[in-house]
Amino acid sequence: MDSSNDEALDIIITNVVATFRTRCHLNLRTIALEGINVIYKPDMGKVLMKLRKPKITASIWSSGKIICTGATSEDDAKVGARRLARTLQKLGFKVRFSAFKVVNVLAVCSMPFAIRLIDFTKKNRPIASYEPELHPAATYRIKHIKATIQVFSTGSITVTGPNVQNVASAVEQVYPLLFECQKPRCK
Amino acid sequence: MIVIVLRDMAFTSRGDALALPRVHCPDHPDAILVEDYRAGDMICPECGLVVGDRVIDVGSEWRTFSNEKALKDPSRVGDAQNPLLNGGDLTTMISKGTGAASFDECGKPKYQNRRTKSSSDRAMLNAFEEIRTMADRIHLPAIIIDRTNNLFKQVYEQKSLKGHAHDAIATACLYIACRQEGVPRTFKEICAVSPISKKKIGRCFKLILKMLDISLDLINPGDLMPRFCSNLGLPKPVRMAANFIARKAVELDLVPGRSPISVAAAAIYMASQASAQKKTQKEIGDIAGVADVTIRQLYRLIYPRAAELFPPDFKFDTPIVKLPQL
Repeated sequence: MDSSNDEALDIIITNVVATFRTRCHLNLRTIALEGINVIYKPDMGKVLMKLRKPKITASIWSSGKIICTGATSEDDAKVGARRLARTLQKLGFKVRFSAFKVVNVLAVCSMPFAIRLIDFTKKNRPIASYEPELHPAATYRIKHIKATIQVFSTGSITVTGPNVQNVASAVEQVYPLLFECQKPRCK
Repeated sequence: MIVIVLRDMAFTSRGDALALPRVHCPDHPDAILVEDYRAGDMICPECGLVVGDRVIDVGSEWRTFSNEKALKDPSRVGDAQNPLLNGGDLTTMISKGTGAASFDECGKPKYQNRRTKSSSDRAMLNAFEEIRTMADRIHLPAIIIDRTNNLFKQVYEQKSLKGHAHDAIATACLYIACRQEGVPRTFKEICAVSPISKKKIGRCFKLILKMLDISLDLINPGDLMPRFCSNLGLPKPVRMAANFIARKAVELDLVPGRSPISVAAAAIYMASQASAQKKTQKEIGDIAGVADVTIRQLYRLIYPRAAELFPPDFKFDTPIVKLPQL
């Protein structure tokens, strides 16, 4: 479904970022002193808590808002978030798990061919932008699905979007464009 | 006599300002009076009676003769107007007086508020000053400065980049203007004349492109070649050779994903090593703003196909086989 090729493209999700609220005020000092695997950052006003089981890092603010990063799938993010809320509950706070939302999904994908970035940028003028002085990849932003794709000349691309669905459809959309600008295989 | 007329004037002007003057010709009350600007008169067209309502003469204050070699024209006052960029230079500034009357009892000058310039445009004028300074440091021509000013004005009026430092926006505008005129300056060169870091300039640059909906052409090594070569003092054949090498290298795609500046630097290195004026990697790196290890790396990439990269009519001082192998 990805292309008319017989090889399927592997889209590997590397990072899922999610936020949720605990609906109660959290005392960061208590968490910092009594929690396990925590790092207190008083200058930023937050506590970092790292979980092992779904490998997740969470930034906890005293208002009760928590950002969860490092998960490898949406379900993992949810499990990790709930586990985090449970840990906070055990520390004595009246935690209510609410407003869980996946905010960002980052995936990498590798094309089986190398890409000519200059051609790609010229063909997709306003949507694609390439500044070799600033970043070696060309950025392609698809507005209506709110996804951003960074295309490297080796053929690997990274896609970021608000959820996994969008990421998949973004890859599908961009594949034909990349296919046109590929570098011929033989030298 | 004059006093009476003035008082009359005050009377009529205190009334409705927009209505026609109330005086009419006594013989022809319906006739619309014709204004004579030079003399400040109102004249009845029917009988020619002068109903001198206004005593303001809007002609020039001094007489100037065209055949006089007057160094200054006394009827022109103030700076040249910059209508595109300011909101109309119609402010009046009161300068500090020199006579005794301009000081009050304690010896302090009256009329101290000289500072109220066109305040809404003050930030813009400051930015223009900054742009002018930066452009002068790298000797940019007036076209680019004008274009930069225009870009800055557009950005400033849109107000979406209001939070960013004006200097950063001005620098980014300068970069864009150079690109648009076809004489791109690298970010590092612009960084050298501006207090803003390359990261901030890049960030503002992307925002401005999005905001003003501009799309720019990509840089290619050929744009930078003349400047780098003349800074290094390389003669024309070497420059042409370097140009050719860089173009061929990009065509043959020997250097995928590499910055065009680095490609240009490596091409210059190869061309200069094959000619009589050999430049070291360090010298080229200094001029181009590229690290010498980068030049070395790129040179290794293009060295294998050196024979194809040189132009056919190039006179080799050092033959290809004797080129340094890093």
